[in-house]
Amino acid sequence: MFKHFHLTKLQWKGILKWALYSFCLLLVLLVQTVISAKAPWFGIKPSLVPIYLVCVAIREGPEKGGFFALGGTVFWCLSGADYGNLSVGVVTVCAVLSAVACRAVLTQGLISTALCCFVTLLLNETIIFVFKLILTPIAPGNFWRILLPGAVLSMLFCPISYVLVRAVSRTGGNHGL
Amino acid sequence: MKKYITGRTRLILVLAVLAAMLLTIFAVVRANTGPGESLVQTLLSPFRAAASGLIRQAERYYDYVFKYESLQAENQALQARIIEMEEDVRSADSLQRENERLHQLLGLTEEHEDYKLASAYIVSWDASNWKSAFTIGKGTNSGINTGMVAITEYGQVVGLVTAAGPNWATVTTVLDSALKINASVASTGYNGIVEGALATGSEGLLRMNYLPTDSVLRNNDQVLTTGSTVYPRGLIIGYITDADFDETGVAKYALLSPAADLDDLEQVFVITEYENQ
Repeated sequence: MFKHFHLTKLQWKGILKWALYSFCLLLVLLVQTVISAKAPWFGIKPSLVPIYLVCVAIREGPEKGGFFALGGTVFWCLSGADYGNLSVGVVTVCAVLSAVACRAVLTQGLISTALCCFVTLLLNETIIFVFKLILTPIAPGNFWRILLPGAVLSMLFCPISYVLVRAVSRTGGNHGL
Repeated sequence: MKKYITGRTRLILVLAVLAAMLLTIFAVVRANTGPGESLVQTLLSPFRAAASGLIRQAERYYDYVFKYESLQAENQALQARIIEMEEDVRSADSLQRENERLHQLLGLTEEHEDYKLASAYIVSWDASNWKSAFTIGKGTNSGINTGMVAITEYGQVVGLVTAAGPNWATVTTVLDSALKINASVASTGYNGIVEGALATGSEGLLRMNYLPTDSVLRNNDQVLTTGSTVYPRGLIIGYITDADFDETGVAKYALLSPAADLDDLEQVFVITEYENQ
């Protein structure tokens, strides 16, 4: 039965690449919840997962990258992320649109990636903030005091994520997987 | 741009919106943790425990290398404090004996002997700026379930278990505005409801609402749980730092600093059983 199940070396490389992407997602999630959330920077907890997912989507394209972003956000949501259900929709849509924009209008360089990551972060956090504003006693001034600085602070992770994703993508290349 | 938005891309966008809607519906409808969330949290728990263990080891090594002199100074200061406290204990002993006599007179029973505790280490913190919660590395396998109270070794309230799986549990801390605790001021007996002031402009503090208009509140007054089906009686919630009239002008509120030092928390104790008095 398994005689016909043959993968070429290039396909194995593709599998390795997506396994590495998934492993890096796990690492980013652990860094976000175990390290940076325990000791917030200037009292603000950065959001790293959306940045990583957008970087992967831009590198791998709207189809494969978008599908990875969908899976990644569902995993993030199920790991207990606050209002993670909203992030599933917002981050995935932003990741897909970022990948499309970087191919059609922008480039896949660091500046374009950073721009897309910042827009995604800002949109995701703003939508969560609006829901919190409606459902819980939260001060509107926190938009300027916590949300915006938080998005800017999170962007410090963008170059690291960009380099990491580029390194992983080079290990596998684009071989149909 | 249209050539990049293929049928598959549209499918992913539709799936993302559908998944978000379904997860929202599940979150609203179900009372407890869903199977998907439980599975992911159970799978993640060993990784989180390993990562937080590594971080703890690294912190200890860092402290050993870089904080040796300050630890030595702290040790000397603590020794001096122990001598002072020993004197306090001697005077407290006589007060305790008097207190015990009064207890006997009033027919009161000793409290807190009925607690059954499960200790657990914190393995990860919620990364949201709008929520104060953490995950511990023990769950239903160790007798920890939702609705149980987490405290420190000094009997200070840390929070409430709001979700639990076989080897993990989420504790929402007292700082989160979702938690509401019936409480009273220890010295005067005024009752109120304590809730977290996270993201309301008083970060790191608690707010005790619905205090009587004529209540006299002093700084550093201790606030304790009054006892309910969830919170045992007499646990320390915090200390009053400020007080004022609320928005209505007919009741007072007090701001409290939490008794538990949530910033340096590593381990908590979950009360798995107690006699409701």
